[in-house]
Amino acid sequence: MDMEHRRLGSTGGAEAVLGLQPNSTMSIAYHSLFDSHNDITLLEIDEKLVPDILQQRVTIRGQPDEDAVLCTQSKTYALKFVGTSNSVFLIPPSDKAVEECNEKDDMTIPVASVIKVAPGSMELVEVAPKLDKLKFLLSQNPYSFVEASDMDISHEREKMNTGLYRWDDLADKVQASNEELRSGLQALLAVEIDGYWRVLDDKYMDMILNMLLHDVILNDWSFNALNEDEVLRALETDGFPCNIAMHCLKVYGNKVEEHIGGSCMWRLEERRVCVHFAREILKNGKMKMETFMAEWIRKVPDGMHASFDMLEGEVLTEKLGIETLVYYFSVSSLPSTPAERFNILFQERQKWEWKDLQPYVRDLRVPGLSSEAILLKYTRRTQPTVDAEPVFSAR
Amino acid sequence: MQIQVKCSCGEGDCPEWAILELQGTVEAQPSFQNSLQNLQIGILCRQSQENYTFSVGYHELTGTKVKLKKPMLVLKKIKLQNEEEMGERDVNSLRVELDVIGIIRHKILFKTRPKALISKPQPAVKEKVTQPSSTVPN
Repeated sequence: MDMEHRRLGSTGGAEAVLGLQPNSTMSIAYHSLFDSHNDITLLEIDEKLVPDILQQRVTIRGQPDEDAVLCTQSKTYALKFVGTSNSVFLIPPSDKAVEECNEKDDMTIPVASVIKVAPGSMELVEVAPKLDKLKFLLSQNPYSFVEASDMDISHEREKMNTGLYRWDDLADKVQASNEELRSGLQALLAVEIDGYWRVLDDKYMDMILNMLLHDVILNDWSFNALNEDEVLRALETDGFPCNIAMHCLKVYGNKVEEHIGGSCMWRLEERRVCVHFAREILKNGKMKMETFMAEWIRKVPDGMHASFDMLEGEVLTEKLGIETLVYYFSVSSLPSTPAERFNILFQERQKWEWKDLQPYVRDLRVPGLSSEAILLKYTRRTQPTVDAEPVFSAR
Repeated sequence: MQIQVKCSCGEGDCPEWAILELQGTVEAQPSFQNSLQNLQIGILCRQSQENYTFSVGYHELTGTKVKLKKPMLVLKKIKLQNEEEMGERDVNSLRVELDVIGIIRHKILFKTRPKALISKPQPAVKEKVTQPSSTVPN
């Protein structure tokens, strides 16, 4: 009897097991190809992700030295292996061809074959995209005025090709979904130049903004109603390519109306322009508050008003005797993972008042964790008296 | 590096696989241990609407069909052997795809300990179920 069963081979399959009728019996056997089959894994997923996967909108991303993540169009998930001590017999659907030729033999009871014993399965845990790497990659080779104005690019280009990334290169290297990658590029003020995603170097941004402001005065334009065509034309005459000029409008302005006489209208955003000048002034280090404010107000274009609260999350102040010093410390230059972020924040200052800390932590996102929970996890909150301001220090 | 997750079965047409799950492990007799292929593990019987039994050697397990809380995909790693590229590229850049070859929505779960089948003695015990923990009732 034993030998008989041994030679039955694989006839039925998963459908026979799942469709087994009450009061029926079938045999379960090892498949003729039974093995460890390390190339077969199980992945547990939410029902709502099934269509994404079946429509081939999902990729697994990561370098050999990184833990792989699974990306849908909009989200990033870590892959966790969960082992089991149970025996999980995997039964594939039947091989139709084999089934038919065995059907003639009506003496046998149906057999379903086990192809593999699964040691466990992979599970998905939503995680934040790894956008710090994007920041790092783009910072390797910022687009500069020298490169932009260099017309003879033929052989120089070869040399400068390091640190240049196309969309596909970034998708290969950065563990983020396409949507997260796109908004990451936007947040970094990156622009696609000749097929490569670049950030513009500070000096170049400063030049083009100053040129734009100069053109505004020269042509008697209004900050609130800049005609896109006119701006691009003027900047192009000044030597700035159209895509860079457009980028400048996007970085420092917002589109207001679609069409006035067939052209888009833009408004320069006071805060963004003012912050730019504050950053330029503080580039060389700490300054006395009075000196900084005087210079800032002087530098900001006429018609715009610099006010210190615009600099929330951009600068910090410290007391030195009776002086107040101000220095550049931008949230945009800090890591986006909470542990690293708080590490740097508490290196900068041992104790933070909430009003100072808030601008530096409000952008932190951890899937499944509220902002309060993040604070609770990484900081110690003390409140000397009931009505005193809470103070946050390292855990 | 990106690994595309594909499904060559076409949407909505992904074949359903089945899982038979039991506690502990099934051990074949030493003489079979290296040639499990085609060997019978046991007999699955649906005794009623709800109840399933799985008889392995002298032992009988009782269980039920369970719908998984979340479906599981069966993924198969496919190495793409592009011969033209292979010459230039090193092993690290060997392209890999994951093919969804099946989906699992149900399993037949035996979570009880095995019951000894004393009424049906067989001369040769082909396989036995071993439990992680000590005694077997009956």
